[in-house]
Amino acid sequence: MTTQDLIEKIGLKALSKFDPREVDGVFVSDMLSDVMAGAQSGNLWVTVQVHKSIVPAANLVDVSAVVVTGGKEVPKDTVELATKHDIAILATDMASFELVGKLYNLGLVAK
Amino acid sequence: MKIKQIKETLGATVLEGPDNLEIEVSQVYASDLMSDVLAFGKPHSILFTGLATRQAIISAHMAEFKAVVLVRGKIPNDNSVKMARDTDLILMSTDLDMFDACVRADSIQKGKALSSESVSEKAFPEELLLAQELVIEGDDFASAGMVSTGIKSTLKKIGLDNVLIRRIAISTYEAEMNVVMHADKGKVFLTVTPTYVKVVIADQGKGIPDVESAMVEGFSTATEEMRAMGFGAGMGLPNINRNADEFEIQSEVGVGTTLNMKFLI
Amino acid sequence: MSDCEHIWKMTNIEFGFIAFEKCSHCQAVRTHFTVDEESGDEYREGDCLWSRVENAQSFRFDLQCTKCNLAVKYHDLMGLLYCTSCMEDCEVEKIQKECAARKTWILVAFGFLPAKKDKPFPPHKLEILTDYFNQRRDTTRSRMKIVSHDLIEKFSLCKGEFIHDRGMLSLEVPEERKPLL
Repeated sequence: MTTQDLIEKIGLKALSKFDPREVDGVFVSDMLSDVMAGAQSGNLWVTVQVHKSIVPAANLVDVSAVVVTGGKEVPKDTVELATKHDIAILATDMASFELVGKLYNLGLVAK
Repeated sequence: MKIKQIKETLGATVLEGPDNLEIEVSQVYASDLMSDVLAFGKPHSILFTGLATRQAIISAHMAEFKAVVLVRGKIPNDNSVKMARDTDLILMSTDLDMFDACVRADSIQKGKALSSESVSEKAFPEELLLAQELVIEGDDFASAGMVSTGIKSTLKKIGLDNVLIRRIAISTYEAEMNVVMHADKGKVFLTVTPTYVKVVIADQGKGIPDVESAMVEGFSTATEEMRAMGFGAGMGLPNINRNADEFEIQSEVGVGTTLNMKFLI
Repeated sequence: MSDCEHIWKMTNIEFGFIAFEKCSHCQAVRTHFTVDEESGDEYREGDCLWSRVENAQSFRFDLQCTKCNLAVKYHDLMGLLYCTSCMEDCEVEKIQKECAARKTWILVAFGFLPAKKDKPFPPHKLEILTDYFNQRRDTTRSRMKIVSHDLIEKFSLCKGEFIHDRGMLSLEVPEERKPLL
């Protein structure tokens, strides 16, 4: 499954510009330290965080995309930094818990 | 749903409030950001969070939550546990990560298994890719789970689909736990062909007197000690049934039990 | 010396807080790691009157080689900072520009203040940390490079941001980071 498939199947909104890539597993956390310690390359990172430091954190552990849940407004500087680093920032109005159910039904699992 | 159900599906440990597990919660709110908990959390919810601090407890209390589950094996300090006690919150901890915890809680909410995609039979000739025989030691909680972990990595090496491997790993794990809890010893036969994976687990244990009841969720004959460790939630056989494409139990009291699981590739 | 081609994993992970303290007399800043939430009360120590200016959530860890078991402690790492290109003549910004063309991203490893300010973060540990994070990623797409904090000449003007969790516990939106010194 690619970032593009997810956008179409779940109806996520793409905020940054990025090259599509394969999504492998899901990591749900709002803590950068958890992500740095536990997320794996290719994971889809689900979070409510919108501060621009999500971009270097996402980049450091090489997640395939960040999905911002809960209809949070993502600041312009976060989106710009993401585009610069080729990091996908996707958004949804769904809460993290609700999105997890949908991702699981698409066959995504924790890795 | 009852907090007890959540505790059991998550294999969570209760750190505070063990007497209140019959309480109902309306929904799960998963977040590590306390401002969100306060802003969007609904009263009578249960909070799933990776934030093991006193403020997390306070926030949950202020948002009128009933319980807090710490995910990813986070352990709170004494202050946090005391805060939970003072505010009448149930506090639990699970080793699952947030995603797994949410998936499991979601399956309780939906009252049933999540739909597993239909699997199409492929017209490959039957050819043996792998045949393994492994041993599970009964009553050995320390190494419980080793066999299913081993099978999982073997299947990964073969390059099977991750979702399939997960279903096999979960089923094997549940079966392995049953052997550890109820039998002296068990044997596992793993067969992989291009079209299916078969796992047969045979033990020389007590046997299951009533197979039909054992297939009902929540039915468990595990002892209190086993339950305290998070096992014996009575989800074992139903969980296998939901994950395997074909599942068959043969059991005779005093002789043993054999579980036949088949997963189509 | 070992000729092991190390494959690193993160071990002994401890979650906690990075406490930023500032003296209201001499304006000095110091930082330390603490596992427990500490109170932010002002306290006196010699001529200094310290108070908490920020409590960021973070974690500390060791890296261990999965092949030869060699373990390296990172208790002297306060955090990783990403450069926001705030000063054109800053060494970090120069390296960053140079590396961007090769799809190599820069982060700055920071030791705890004030002791480590002028000394580089130990180079061999930087190398291991860089290796570790590159081993975790698909390096055919891009790479990470972690450099030392002493490359930043003007600490007090740096507007780089730490990858720390701030404002997790509060109801308010975190402010922009204040200068370190």
